[in-house]
Amino acid sequence: MSKAAIFDRRAVRLHRDRAASLVAHVAPILDAVAERLLDRLDDTTHRFARALDIGGRGVVAPRLAARGIETISCDLSAAMLVGAPGLRVAADEECLPFAAGSFDLVVASLSLHWVNDLPGTFAQIRHILRPDGLFLAALPVLPTAAPLREALIAAESDLSGGAAPRISPYPRLHDAAALMQRAGFALPVVDTDRLALAWRRPDSLLRDLRRAGETNALRLREQRPLDPGAFAAAFASLLGEDATMPLDLHLAMLTGWAPAPGQPKPLAPGAFDTPLGAALGDTTE
Amino acid sequence: MTDETSGPESGAKVPLDPLLLEILVCPVTRTALRYDAEAGELVSDAAGLAFEVRDGIPIMLPEEARVLDPG
Repeated sequence: MSKAAIFDRRAVRLHRDRAASLVAHVAPILDAVAERLLDRLDDTTHRFARALDIGGRGVVAPRLAARGIETISCDLSAAMLVGAPGLRVAADEECLPFAAGSFDLVVASLSLHWVNDLPGTFAQIRHILRPDGLFLAALPVLPTAAPLREALIAAESDLSGGAAPRISPYPRLHDAAALMQRAGFALPVVDTDRLALAWRRPDSLLRDLRRAGETNALRLREQRPLDPGAFAAAFASLLGEDATMPLDLHLAMLTGWAPAPGQPKPLAPGAFDTPLGAALGDTTE
Repeated sequence: MTDETSGPESGAKVPLDPLLLEILVCPVTRTALRYDAEAGELVSDAAGLAFEVRDGIPIMLPEEARVLDPG
């Protein structure tokens, strides 16, 4: 949207359109993340009435529906929504078309890492939540794919004397935490999780990325096409003893609440007027 | 394929769910939308855009929207 955009949103949408009929092949990976993310719903006594599933690719909405939550699914690709239970809306995460306070739960499982303006999207999500509504997100963070990125740059430089960006510049964990703060979420919690994944062959990794709609959508990607030889060389350089290439998914699991009166808040500095000794029943003074 | 009451090419409009009409706003201006059931479109007068409702799915993407004729 802006001139500083690093992702080609049209390409993101096209990749998801193409992946729509194939995404079931990679559902186990997506579902493992969704399950871990939605586990957080069990940690709260809140009951949620209406949820928005952003880009859940067929695994999030059924899990929400199974919990008795009325769920609206949105995706940049209308094709990706076919088969989703409940109501569906084709929407761009960078300009969400929902009125303020429409939901009491918003879930974004592995769906915000192709968004150019994450602070803006987080602020919009807060806006469409009712007071005391919950935002849950699973966001890939560094060092996801860092070894592959380095190996690709090395292989491309060896073969052609130059390299282009191939892998999304994932945020760091503390960037994700700062985003929650900046967007004004109350009681933000960011914790980490890791999904250990590995592939045997370079072509099967590319195939699975296509099935998930996760192929390169960086705007700079078109400066030079990916050399299959360089990709194979990079892949081979990372093979482990078990002849697979590990590609762990490092996740930031984000939890935050739309501010509301009556929520627990940290006390202001200087708000403590009871000496620690008194609180502990220390009578030796 | 010959079923005239279903399928995207049949011309039969899947009506917009009332809940969606309640919560959707224009993605560009964040203002209210008007549902044109006849055309199967959600119209943003403020943005001058009409968003198609395709098989009950509103396509709320500005680059996919139909630009309204001024005046």
